[in-house]
Amino acid sequence: MSQRAEEQLKERIRSGYILESPEEMTPGYRRAIIIQLTVQADTELMSAPAYWLAARHAPSTNTQVSAHAIIQDELAHANIAYRLLEDMGVSKEKLVYGREPHEFKHPYGFDQPLDNWAELVVANGFFDRAGICLLGDVHRNTSYGPLKRALVKVDMEETFHLRHGEVWMRRLARAGGAATELLQRCVDWMFPMTIEWFGLPDDLKRHSGQLDYKLKGLTNDELRQLWMSSTVPLCEGLGLKVPAHYDEAAEEYVLDYPFPCEYDPDAKHWLFDDGEISWDAVFARWKGRGPMNERYVESVRRSRGTVSSWLN
Amino acid sequence: MIGEGVYEVFARKKRGEPLRHIGYVDAPGDELARVYAWKTYDEEKWFEMCVVPRGAVIPVNRDDGPWGRNRRGREGDG
Repeated sequence: MSQRAEEQLKERIRSGYILESPEEMTPGYRRAIIIQLTVQADTELMSAPAYWLAARHAPSTNTQVSAHAIIQDELAHANIAYRLLEDMGVSKEKLVYGREPHEFKHPYGFDQPLDNWAELVVANGFFDRAGICLLGDVHRNTSYGPLKRALVKVDMEETFHLRHGEVWMRRLARAGGAATELLQRCVDWMFPMTIEWFGLPDDLKRHSGQLDYKLKGLTNDELRQLWMSSTVPLCEGLGLKVPAHYDEAAEEYVLDYPFPCEYDPDAKHWLFDDGEISWDAVFARWKGRGPMNERYVESVRRSRGTVSSWLN
Repeated sequence: MIGEGVYEVFARKKRGEPLRHIGYVDAPGDELARVYAWKTYDEEKWFEMCVVPRGAVIPVNRDDGPWGRNRRGREGDG
């Protein structure tokens, strides 16, 4: 289809047009929404094994139930996004079972091990909040009707995950001693991990069309600010140190460390002292995937072959 | 491969409210579709929920989208 058709669709979308079927998409729109939904679906899917392995550290039956309720939600959200892709002619079967682990498009944060209860609840407080910032923005702005409706459920449930994270972060912060120290260590690696999650700064971002087709409303930097505007006050209120502060003069949150910078996944440590690195170096690290990538992918699909063979 | 079909999920929040299309599940049959729908769409305490095999939805005025494909498939049946 011609460039003119793309421009016409963008123009209609600017005046509020909502697409209701894949047949109404131009090739450019279709390409952009397939990338967006694949990232969304893969992120939800890979959060499940990360949280599932961490749920072993739940301190009571009630907390086990809450942790598993969150995992169940994440799998349902993944299913919803993969189904929307199927309706565009993309095979869910191939996406879930036909790719190599490193080909999934979830953020690097979900390649990391969550090794204790504090890490799980900070993941709920930080990563799920990032999910709400990103998907809440899509929900408010998307020009694709079926996605807008599907996100009602997703937003509602992600808010529950965030509340779970905040309530538990508060409990651990109030406890003092070893609990608070552990919580601070989680914040130290998971805060910069989430900051990086939002991707390239706006001044370096290649034009993707996601904004022109109104697949989202806010830029990467705006989303990063939105995330910090609730995360920084939360942490400060709990007496936790975060490497960012609000700059009154600039009227925005400012990072107190070189961004982007290198990460040592084995030590769960950001190498602030080594200074700023290039985004190409960040992309290379993401592409190499993190320590849990293969295990997480394996854990969501290991029984597929066996059970299928019983049934056939 | 485990053969699955698409089921549309409809639900009503409470008495007096409209039945709305809330999503979809893939399932190998009607009974599992009921279970998957109930467990997947548990964000509300639904007053009523039902599932419909996608192939059973017959569009009236449009022929695009996932349901439109059924109508195109049926052309020539009559």
